[in-house]
Amino acid sequence: MTATSAPAAVRPGAARRGTGTVILGSGRLLRLELRHNAMLWLLPVAFALFWYNGYREIMALPPMWNLRAMTLQNRLLLDLVVPVTGAAAWMGSREGRRGIADLVAVTARPRWSRQLATWAATTAWAEVACLACVAVVYLMTARQATWGGPLWWPAVVSVAGVPMLTAIGFAAGAWFPGRFVTPLVMVVVFFGLAFGTQAASGDHSYWQISPLTAGAVDIGAAPGVATFYPYLPDLSIAQVMFTAGLTVAVLGALGFPAARMRWLAAVITAAGLAAAGTAVALAGTGRLDPHGMIVIPALHDAASNQPVRYTPACSRTPIPVCVHPAYRGVLPAVTAAVAPELTEFAGLPGAPARISQVTTVYRQEPGNATSVGGGGSSAAALVLPDQEPGWLGTTATEFDAQLDQGLGLQLASDVILGGDGQQSGSGPSQAQLAVVAGSVRFPPSVQSRDLAPMYGRLLPQPGSPADRAARRFAALSPAARHAWLAGHLAALRAGRVSLAQLP
Amino acid sequence: MTAVAVRLVRLHAASRRLPAALVLLAACAVGLRGALYGHWDSYGALQLPLIFEAGCAAIIAVTAGSPFGDPERATGRRLPYLRLGSAVALTGLAAAALAVAGTGLPLAGGFPDILRNVAGLTGIGLLCATVLGGPLAWTGPLTYLVAGAYGLYTDWHPPALSTPWLWPARPPHDVGGALCAAVVFVAGLAAFTVRGARASAGG
Repeated sequence: MTATSAPAAVRPGAARRGTGTVILGSGRLLRLELRHNAMLWLLPVAFALFWYNGYREIMALPPMWNLRAMTLQNRLLLDLVVPVTGAAAWMGSREGRRGIADLVAVTARPRWSRQLATWAATTAWAEVACLACVAVVYLMTARQATWGGPLWWPAVVSVAGVPMLTAIGFAAGAWFPGRFVTPLVMVVVFFGLAFGTQAASGDHSYWQISPLTAGAVDIGAAPGVATFYPYLPDLSIAQVMFTAGLTVAVLGALGFPAARMRWLAAVITAAGLAAAGTAVALAGTGRLDPHGMIVIPALHDAASNQPVRYTPACSRTPIPVCVHPAYRGVLPAVTAAVAPELTEFAGLPGAPARISQVTTVYRQEPGNATSVGGGGSSAAALVLPDQEPGWLGTTATEFDAQLDQGLGLQLASDVILGGDGQQSGSGPSQAQLAVVAGSVRFPPSVQSRDLAPMYGRLLPQPGSPADRAARRFAALSPAARHAWLAGHLAALRAGRVSLAQLP
Repeated sequence: MTAVAVRLVRLHAASRRLPAALVLLAACAVGLRGALYGHWDSYGALQLPLIFEAGCAAIIAVTAGSPFGDPERATGRRLPYLRLGSAVALTGLAAAALAVAGTGLPLAGGFPDILRNVAGLTGIGLLCATVLGGPLAWTGPLTYLVAGAYGLYTDWHPPALSTPWLWPARPPHDVGGALCAAVVFVAGLAAFTVRGARASAGG
């Protein structure tokens, strides 16, 4: 043995220094990659796309956390897909594009390690973009929302989706470092992400694993979802598991060319694929719960089934109208729509002491259809339409028209006909119909239409004696109508009042 | 056309990877054909052709990059004609390939839509090639793809974006949208013909 061939003694201190040097070197490499990363230059593009496509749409929604957070999940990744995937593919193809693969192959660090540093830097900048978008939306919503707090799971899904995009883009660039690969991988990923959700059908669909899917496919972000009941994270957990698994699998596959680490790369890839596959299988076991969210039995926490506690926001009207505090913004419109009826029926026997908003009930129908109903049928139960001002372009006028068409008539028919309006097999009498029609104030836009097809047996035929009696009754002042009803409501309900006896 | 001219065109095409681009344009057409067999909802069907149109435009824009840089600029007197010819030919071929791919299937917008969108997106790509260089020329068409897809989405979820500069969201026979796309195409073509793609170190 010569001095040159003798193995050097490894001292513990030197080993510690070696580990420290590796960490220090990795940090330095990451810093270099952060400073020379294409994603940094594409950040303005990412912000511009999000502002143009996502932010304006999200901010036009009513200031409810559920609506904005779920819409954010649906929009953000789609807006980021082009700059993020493009930057990652560009960075991944760097060595091949510049023809320096052989040059850097002789450096101290293995190729896989160098690639992971570049990918990590690209992902870090992409996450900066993602988190900045989330922060702006959540800060603005926090200033505007009348109730509740941030829903974090939709944001977590978006944040977890970013590494998946960068991993796919980076791997495509690294494996096929041609000039065409970057645009092609962007088109493919955009197509997969944007159109993957369209394959989803019903609550058992495997396709709802797409990180763009927030909640049930055919419901999505609706005001009634995650308002009266907590936001269920079941689907979000599966989506995070899927995106993380796919990320790990793709990054693991990058290590296959390294002969010494091929087994490790294979194990990592297999673990990632297993996680992603399990997540897809879990998504296929989902079912729509009555509150509009997807329950995955294996991931479900039964404690989430408890309704949310809240103090309702109530109007100061003769019959108070109480809504969930998240709907506080529409309470003036609700009370304005039903104000004359509230004055007319307050204190009458059978009239509710208070009208309270109840939750919407969702049910999965065959295919992708979903039925939406109210959680109560009495006069005291108020179901607000999902089409709130700002939701999918609904205007305040359209929302008011919906309220005008339904609320007053529901209250009048419940008070005058009693309960569900079915007092006997013969249906309501002509006098009852006349009083119902005379009590309800439809706005001109509704009156100008033929109401008979809309309200069927609850309104008299135009031109009939009952219709003329209704017009006479409507001409009375609210106080006079209230006084007459106070004295005759019991007889009217019993069917003992004729048209001629109406004032 | 002389043998020298033919050789010049062939060498120019090879240096810009035009054969590969033709294969990829054909692949886009095949992809569109396959996708049209799927069942998409209303705005999905509207957005579908735009994705492939943007892919074609990005491919055409990327071919703008030259691997030779200044030596070629200094010696190639016929370079502007070659650039003009290759860009126009590829744009026409892309539009024709996509139109053929949609034959007999419910292609939203039809040929006028394809021609307008491919031309406009290619114009954006050529402008990007002039400013950013060929290798980065894809940024323009694909960024515009996201905005255009959103414009089509707002046709179903108002308020609709009605600016003609977002021509994919306009009806196929809309004059304003067609004019804007034509202006962008001509501007891109002129800039690319005269100046060529910017030389890029990363190329």
